[in-house]
Amino acid sequence: MRRLARLLALAAGAVLAFPATAQAPRSGGELVFPVPSEPPSYDGHREETFGLIHPLAPFYNTLLRVDPNDPGGTKPVPSIAESWTVSPDGLTYTFKIRSGVKFHDGSAMTSKDVKATYDKIIFPPAGVGSTRKGAYAVVAAVEAPDPVTVVFKLKWPSASFLAGLASPWNFIYKADILAKDMHWYEKNIMGTGPFTFVEHVKGSHVVGKKFPGYWDKGKPYLDGYRAIFMRDSAAQVAAVRGERAHIQFRSFTPKDRDNLKAALGDKITVQESPWDCILMVGINHQKKPFDDKRVRRALTLALDRHTGSKALSQIAIVKSVAGVQVPGTPFATPPEELNKLAGYWTDAAKSRAEAKRLLKEAGLPEGFSFTFSNRGIPMPYEPLAVWMIDQWRQVGLDVKHNVIESRAYFGVIRKGDAEVFMDFQCGYIVEPDLDMYKFLSTERNPANYGRYEDPVLDDLYDKQSRATNPEERKKLIRQFEKRLLDEEAHYLMTLQWHRIIPHSSKVKGWTITPSHYLNNTLDNVWLTE
Amino acid sequence: MAVTPHTVDELTRAAEPRSGWIAAVAKFARERPLGAIGGVIILVMVVVAATAGFLAPEDPLATDYAAMLSAPGPGHWLGTDAFGRDVLSRMIYGSRTALMVGLGASLIGATFGGVIGVASAYFGGRADLLVQRVMDVFFAFPVIILALAVVSILGTGVGNVILAIAVPMVPRCARVVRASALSVREMPYVDAARAAGYGHRRIILRHMLPNVMAPLLIMATAFLGEAILLEASLSFLGLGVTEPTAAWGLMLRGAAVEFAESAPWMAVFPGLAISLAVFGFNLFGDSLRDALDPRLRTQ
Amino acid sequence: MAYYILKRLLAIIPTLLGVAVLIFLLLRVVPGDVVEARYMGEGGQFQSQDLMQIERKKLGLDQPLWKQFTGWMWGILHLDFGLSMWTGAPITEEIQLRFALSLQLALMASTVAVLLAIPLGILAALKQDTWVDYAVRVFSIAGLAMPSFWLGILMILSMLIFFKWLPPMVFTPLWVNPWENLAQLIWPALAVGYRYSAVGTRMMRSTMLEVLREDYIRTARAKGLWLKLILTRHALKNAILPVLTIMSLEFAFLLGGLVVTEQVFNLNGLGMLFVEGIARRDYTLIQALVMLVASAFLFVNFFVDIAYAWLDPRIRYR
Repeated sequence: MRRLARLLALAAGAVLAFPATAQAPRSGGELVFPVPSEPPSYDGHREETFGLIHPLAPFYNTLLRVDPNDPGGTKPVPSIAESWTVSPDGLTYTFKIRSGVKFHDGSAMTSKDVKATYDKIIFPPAGVGSTRKGAYAVVAAVEAPDPVTVVFKLKWPSASFLAGLASPWNFIYKADILAKDMHWYEKNIMGTGPFTFVEHVKGSHVVGKKFPGYWDKGKPYLDGYRAIFMRDSAAQVAAVRGERAHIQFRSFTPKDRDNLKAALGDKITVQESPWDCILMVGINHQKKPFDDKRVRRALTLALDRHTGSKALSQIAIVKSVAGVQVPGTPFATPPEELNKLAGYWTDAAKSRAEAKRLLKEAGLPEGFSFTFSNRGIPMPYEPLAVWMIDQWRQVGLDVKHNVIESRAYFGVIRKGDAEVFMDFQCGYIVEPDLDMYKFLSTERNPANYGRYEDPVLDDLYDKQSRATNPEERKKLIRQFEKRLLDEEAHYLMTLQWHRIIPHSSKVKGWTITPSHYLNNTLDNVWLTE
Repeated sequence: MAVTPHTVDELTRAAEPRSGWIAAVAKFARERPLGAIGGVIILVMVVVAATAGFLAPEDPLATDYAAMLSAPGPGHWLGTDAFGRDVLSRMIYGSRTALMVGLGASLIGATFGGVIGVASAYFGGRADLLVQRVMDVFFAFPVIILALAVVSILGTGVGNVILAIAVPMVPRCARVVRASALSVREMPYVDAARAAGYGHRRIILRHMLPNVMAPLLIMATAFLGEAILLEASLSFLGLGVTEPTAAWGLMLRGAAVEFAESAPWMAVFPGLAISLAVFGFNLFGDSLRDALDPRLRTQ
Repeated sequence: MAYYILKRLLAIIPTLLGVAVLIFLLLRVVPGDVVEARYMGEGGQFQSQDLMQIERKKLGLDQPLWKQFTGWMWGILHLDFGLSMWTGAPITEEIQLRFALSLQLALMASTVAVLLAIPLGILAALKQDTWVDYAVRVFSIAGLAMPSFWLGILMILSMLIFFKWLPPMVFTPLWVNPWENLAQLIWPALAVGYRYSAVGTRMMRSTMLEVLREDYIRTARAKGLWLKLILTRHALKNAILPVLTIMSLEFAFLLGGLVVTEQVFNLNGLGMLFVEGIARRDYTLIQALVMLVASAFLFVNFFVDIAYAWLDPRIRYR
């Protein structure tokens, strides 16, 4: 009897020791996921909302993509492009395009489709909207010398160009269609992606079906997917909890995760990651007394980010204390150095005392009042505002909270009436060029609502953008960060967002990345059963 | 005898019903226990709101991250919320916000609605028809849509919410008051007053308005309850009162839903408070209507 | 009679026009427009003002106000309700499915409300000032007093926790799959119906009390024959009529006014469309929705007035 028990234990041990990843992907099944927002049109070149990516990205491919298996979310890897070479002067990028790629209508995709797509994005004709045109200002021309080659000619060498081509928004469209009607893709779908379009019922859902002619043989594993539009976050959580939906690709709150784990136990797998999104406090330099850098420094010194991080990470989707880069990524400043900047000191009492001293020096009376404008989105704008208003209260500032409706928000801020306001930034890839662009002088970047001119900062940005040596680049980025957050305190970073995806354990093959715009093509995803 | 202004006053006073306040209240409590309960609830709410500063154990805005989400117990009798703020103190101050919004919206709505209704009934003719059509236009909008539109224009915050809720109330009050005023207008003492040469304003304010007070009062109390609910709905949608103000509707938003299982006190108590307040106002208003409606008086 | 109908019908037109003008102006007073909402919504990092001006021109937003208004009115006369400014799709397409859901929900909720209000109101009247009366009144007012979203959240949570069951997430029309359809809509219909029954219960109780005071009823009651008399004579019919009229007025509001309920139960209805449309500053869509709801309200009002006039000739000649 004892021998039998020992044998059984051995067998059990052997089974349990088998890594779960040894399972082979299973074909079949329909993935169901809620999407909090519905896109106004189908054109990825034009829209900015993740509400477009989640339901529509599976219908398309991009030239390059961010490695879906890399949790860091920083590596561009081949997709439509099979391989590439860069000229020694860094001004010419030559891509070899895969053969055998088909559009959903059966026609073959060639380099002329890639050229037509990028011409639309970078050099749109009048009347055609291209939201990210400005990000490709470095491109001089796009050429397609033969059906399997695309050449990009740049005006100056750029360290971030490949990352730019991996943008999940740059769906490859069909040249023939674009030639006939540049607006066709706003209301229609024709791509090369792993799924074909079945239906979109307004306000309700989008359904996609497996494309048998997909160029990556054997994929996709899923038979299809169903994206259901659900505005209310409680409804989304209930859907996952009631096992009617498998996963939500944006994020849930820490409490939602705890509730789901408590209710479903092992049926839920949780993946977490720092998120390439952050809320910043913008300060209108044209409003007195915020033109005085002592006042701005006081504002950042008053915020005890370390305690805030511990507390808020329990109730909101924020966590890490961060500078201009997502912590843990190649160019992020390590904590020992970061904690030297104003507002990042570990001694909160000292920091507050310094803040009070600066306010007094700047001549502000005790109980000085100003208005903090915030965007009307509950998570995490509200908890962060409550926290900051309380922190500022503790250094003697009386802050009025003015909540502006979400969509009207930036229109109001742009007008320049707000004093101190909440600003935000979300990137699809962690890349300093993209993450730091926002803080350039307002003359160069009108989307900088702080309304300041800082040529030193601009210069540092340009230098790091052209730095080909990573160590040199790191140094420049640190200098930029110090000037932005410490010396001048133009903008204040709050806390880095934290992405939490509790999903059904049946979902395999999906790895979380710091961006909710990435890894949504669903070609690697499969369902167990 | 000559018809002097003095005699007209006497005559009108003789024709109008009398009221003795204290006797009436006592009679009301005896005959209508439900209404009395409603009245008590309202009274408690008013007292709590007035003495909030004295009653509340903590500052409703003071956060305490060490004590986040603690269950009810000594120290925090109703527990704490996601920021460590004392729920009991926030509830007490919340009654102040609720009453401010409710009374503010009700008063503004009833005043404007009452005056418009009476004036419209008094002047009659084309003016009356025009006013009726305009009121109809506002009436045709669902209440919450109108409130939403006003908040979108004016912005969030307590003052704007009061206005937003008052706007849909005006046509509803006007309609009820107009119906009542129409019947008063036919009464002989109004004609007598006109004959004596009294101006429009005096007749409207001194003679007609007091007599439409009954339906106006009923509408106002009923609407107070609805105003509190509307504020809760608007705050729930993110378009009402904003953080960190202590308001019952706001306390029900967002975090309360997530924490409904692990920290139910966050959602249960504000919900109960709203329900109780609206309940009280409705009971009281109901019984008030029964008391003042001559047709239902038990002889 | 025909003259009265015509008179009431004509009164609707200036009101509708008033609603049109009001919503047109109201929307344009709200700060921001649809182009901003679309392109600046998420920060608009690399956005350009010229692009936005081009978009505005395409939507006709740069034209003078009176021109935009008359253009819209002209379209309505041709039954062309225009395109949504947000998606560019025809508004009839946008509204179709959501209207079907909201209409069904409104009908179901009204039915629940009537089924609750009439028996409860009669009961309360018959047992006036007894504990039964108090219980009925407390019960009905409780429904009115609870915040609708609170009730909805409690319902969904209890279904999840105690029954581990969730209503369907997607709307299937009644004729496609009645079981799925009802499984989704019965819960909000109950929550909303309970709430709206309060008004009807109160009305039913008071009209029933009036009926009970009629002399012939009082004599019959003294003789012990009153119940049969009430149920067979027109007494009951007269008592129920005001209740039905007040409930039908509420019905018109249920069409577009269930904003919070739709959010909590995740229903793809007109209420959510309203909120999203206002947030997106989709002028054409909101204008069309408001006209729809207002017309529904005014026409229901109209039919109620006609019904009353038909039953009570005195009203026609006022």
